[in-house]
Amino acid sequence: MSANANFRSQLLVGGAILASIVLVGAYLAAGGSSYAPDKTRDPCVHRAWTNPGSLQEIAQQFSLSALDGAACELGVSREALAQALPTEEGRERFREQYDIGTEEFAKAIRAGLLRAIEDAEDANALSPLIAAPLRATIEDIPLDQAIELIDDASSAFETFQGFLGPAGDLLEELFG
Amino acid sequence: MATESARPRVAALALAVGIVLADSSIVVLALPEIYRELDTSVAGVTWVLISFNLVMALAAVPAAHLARRVGPGRAAAVGLAVFAGAGLACGVADNLSTLILARCVQALGGAVAVTAALELLPATVGSEREATRVWASAGATGAALGPAVGGLLTELVSWQSIFLIQVPIALAAAVPILAVAKHEMATRVIETELRPAGRPHVAANIALAMVSAAIAAALFLLVLLLIEGWRLSPIGAAIVVSVMPLAAFAGSRLGPLVPSAKARAAAGAILVSGGLAGLALLPKAEVALTVPPQILIGIGLSLVLSALTETALSGRAPQAIHGGWTISARHAGVVLGLLALTPIFTADIAQQRDDAIDAGTAVLLDSKVTPLLKLELAGRISNQLDGEKGKVPTIGPAFKPLPDDPEERAQVETLRDELQDQLDRGATHAFSPSFGLAALIGLLALIPIGLSRRVDL
Repeated sequence: MSANANFRSQLLVGGAILASIVLVGAYLAAGGSSYAPDKTRDPCVHRAWTNPGSLQEIAQQFSLSALDGAACELGVSREALAQALPTEEGRERFREQYDIGTEEFAKAIRAGLLRAIEDAEDANALSPLIAAPLRATIEDIPLDQAIELIDDASSAFETFQGFLGPAGDLLEELFG
Repeated sequence: MATESARPRVAALALAVGIVLADSSIVVLALPEIYRELDTSVAGVTWVLISFNLVMALAAVPAAHLARRVGPGRAAAVGLAVFAGAGLACGVADNLSTLILARCVQALGGAVAVTAALELLPATVGSEREATRVWASAGATGAALGPAVGGLLTELVSWQSIFLIQVPIALAAAVPILAVAKHEMATRVIETELRPAGRPHVAANIALAMVSAAIAAALFLLVLLLIEGWRLSPIGAAIVVSVMPLAAFAGSRLGPLVPSAKARAAAGAILVSGGLAGLALLPKAEVALTVPPQILIGIGLSLVLSALTETALSGRAPQAIHGGWTISARHAGVVLGLLALTPIFTADIAQQRDDAIDAGTAVLLDSKVTPLLKLELAGRISNQLDGEKGKVPTIGPAFKPLPDDPEERAQVETLRDELQDQLDRGATHAFSPSFGLAALIGLLALIPIGLSRRVDL
């Protein structure tokens, strides 16, 4: 093979290597190795409550803390539990999938709600005066109502506030 | 070079090789349509693709022997007629079994036509070297064009038209060959020597199989990513993947500038692997980002397929038999690539779909929309996911109608975009391991390429 032909062979192979490296390097630099769905966070790690202002915001953060607490207790992700909670079939499928008994499930849901109360207290969003009776209530309420409280804490809080009538304003103050 | 009078026959033979080898990938973009229309399973429908390649792999060498025994002119004409007839049967098939059976017969006819064409080409173009070049280029062009043409026909006409359109083309390709067949019958002389064939070029054929596995993965997975992952229409996907044959055409201009087949094969394998690695590392779910990897793969495939085919055929006789070995290696590579990578990809897409839904749930839970709207959206999204039955879903319809309140509307739109981003990430990432593995297979082909005897053309 002539020197010229040899040079063209080397140029072709070298060009192919260079083009491949440039492409792979550019895609890596643009984040190609991490372009995947976000990883779900560990539910056992406490998330800070962010300036809960209104009752609605408190209810949201309460639900999230309760979900985290229950998921942590069950050793599953918060998201998997959230997908299962809304329907009876979903809960049954979830318990089958993770091999969780009814009692263990109920215990975890209550543990989640207790953690939410604790988180609310830590964030100064819940007065200890309310926290104590709320804790006692949670120990006794049926599982369905406990799940409802996680699913829609806002409605539950609003109902609670409406039921209390004028005392609702006080509740708002106590939560605030 | 072919004389003026031989040109129609050269064109016919190249067309015959191109159309048969295009058939190994032409149905890729039609598979979702066939899946829906024939009401079959995903595993079942992939056999429309696998059966053709498997029969080609098994039948190519025996078909070459047959072509030499009965005469390449007659074999090519009959092979093309069988290919056309089976194509007609594919086009009118109303169930999967008939379609797969017809595809097998199509591959049998195609194997005979392609190997016989290689036997006929040297006498038509004037030299074995030129014959090999024409034969290899026609095959590479056909393989690269297949998916784009198939996608266009599926969208513009129907999946059946992919097969029906081949009938007149195959018959037209057979017409100039009939003269040779008639001559063979009239003289009862078969012009080829029936001496025993030597050993096939093992290293070149192994490299050909490995590179073909990587290229099949590139075409098959890219099409799936575009249609099933990014929800493009078949015509949209066809336009996108047409970058590959265009790049292959540009790459074929490079080949004659470099005499060393080993250098062209190595450069081609590196480019194919580099392109596949790029597809494994896509930084966003954007069609434009598939273009640079496709350019590398297209140029690479035109270099490596023709160089390895030339190497496998160089100095070996009879050409039809050794050509049969290359056809066999290429299609065996396609089958192995599909069989090895499909289960990996299928498992990954299921996992990534779950991960994306979890990530989407996190986005929904942490979003700023009101709890009641959150619950309503969660219900709608859940119905949307159920409706898509295990496919990568599009989330947009679950968010309609958007709230009237501008602030709430903006929050919901942000949530929708974030959720769709998570799903896009999942769909794209699901293909990464398979593209990565295909890149590795392409790179490993450098070992047999390195071991192959040096051939300068």
